[in-house]
Amino acid sequence: MRTASQSPATGAGCEPGFRGVICVSFATTDALQDHDTGGMPRHDLRFAAATPEAIANLRSVLGHSRVGVRVVLAGPPADVHAAASVAAECGLVDEEMTLVCDEVGPRVIFCGHCHTSTTTDHPIGTNVDCQGCGTTLIFTDHFSRRVGGYLGFSAHAEEAA
Amino acid sequence: MTGTALQNKAKPLLDGTLQLEVTSVSAQTDSITSITFGGALGELLPSYVPGSHLVVQYGTGANAYSLTGSGSAPTEYSISVLRIENGAGGSLAMHALCVGDLVQVSHPRSAFAPAATASHHLLIAAGIGITPVLSHARYAAEWGASASLIYVHRPGTGAHVAEARQLLGPGLTECLDRSSFQEVLTRQLTTQQLGTHLYVCGPNAFMDSVLKQARDLGWPKSLLHSEAFSGAALDDGEPFEVRLARSKVTLNVPAGVSLLGTLENAGLTVPNMCRKGICGECAVPVLRGEPLHRDLYLTDQEKDDNTTMMCCVSRSLGQELELDL
Repeated sequence: MRTASQSPATGAGCEPGFRGVICVSFATTDALQDHDTGGMPRHDLRFAAATPEAIANLRSVLGHSRVGVRVVLAGPPADVHAAASVAAECGLVDEEMTLVCDEVGPRVIFCGHCHTSTTTDHPIGTNVDCQGCGTTLIFTDHFSRRVGGYLGFSAHAEEAA
Repeated sequence: MTGTALQNKAKPLLDGTLQLEVTSVSAQTDSITSITFGGALGELLPSYVPGSHLVVQYGTGANAYSLTGSGSAPTEYSISVLRIENGAGGSLAMHALCVGDLVQVSHPRSAFAPAATASHHLLIAAGIGITPVLSHARYAAEWGASASLIYVHRPGTGAHVAEARQLLGPGLTECLDRSSFQEVLTRQLTTQQLGTHLYVCGPNAFMDSVLKQARDLGWPKSLLHSEAFSGAALDDGEPFEVRLARSKVTLNVPAGVSLLGTLENAGLTVPNMCRKGICGECAVPVLRGEPLHRDLYLTDQEKDDNTTMMCCVSRSLGQELELDL
């Protein structure tokens, strides 16, 4: 985890009571480089991925922010959706969030059986083995914003044992 | 809510009625009286969502009043009414009630509910606008939800002040004049944690000012809630034609006559209550044409859809409108 050059690397790194625009970039995206904040003060965060540390840092920044703030999330879909899920948990509503997802990127498959998330590059409609319980999961475009992932369910549940 | 008087002659009561007895009457201030209704046996009454109102019948009219309780398992319904000398008569009728009088009331109706996902409830009330907000404060205290209240009232004329102090403690800020309120409001609008929802009730100009300032300071609409107690001041509007698709009739709606009035004059029965664009009872389905929405009930999205309109206040943008009636 590293913070962008616009802000000193001070952990939370955001003045208390911030009500400007928090621009969060994941991986190598430069989508927010020229993002127009409409004259509002801007605070930049950059993370390699939505790791637990990155999420904790985002949570802390949001905890210091006040209503009026806007959050823009950019990068691979899995990271953006994980961060959006946390932002919603912190009380942000849709109008306060903008998601700028890369065109392609790995998906997070949320296992409906053991609730473990598995990241995959497989396309929608294919199978993936759950990292938690080993069940072969099939996933469709059934996406949950709350968990930031696609629902995966046992691919062979209806076959005779 | 006050002042949503009904001028209907034959009035069908809406969504079921309860016959209740006045169990207590107490003066809050010189002009505000609290009235409590209960069942004959002190039985449990239907629960309600905080911020709900009750429609109380009087003589030839009916008025909506905010319930001041928390709403969970009530055996009584309490309202507080500001006496308005030159109003439609509802507040005077309420002030004339005595213990033991029987009244017909509607089931509680919810139009100002707290958001279940809020991390904090910022309540703002002016004058008699305290009533629905007090319901919110009680609910928050009962369920341990985080809440604070800015209450604007003139010295000596504030209703429920002692209860508000007890319920909210340091979370209550009382403002006795407009300039101190403005200072408090600006500070509070810029220092709320994420997930705070704002609820405002008071005179229309007061609410408009609070909501505008909140929006200007970046508050998204979905965090803002308001409870109007009188409809907007509306002009007579342009005349238009309305085609009733199923009845196969076309009616002229002249300027100064509402669509609801026109439908009623033509012998149609349209459920209605406040006739001021607040209650949502008189919704009619639109098949063709673009309504000129002037109500406070439909959401912006619903207004944009142009498939429903409140026929008591809304009119037509074009010369013709077709309804599924």
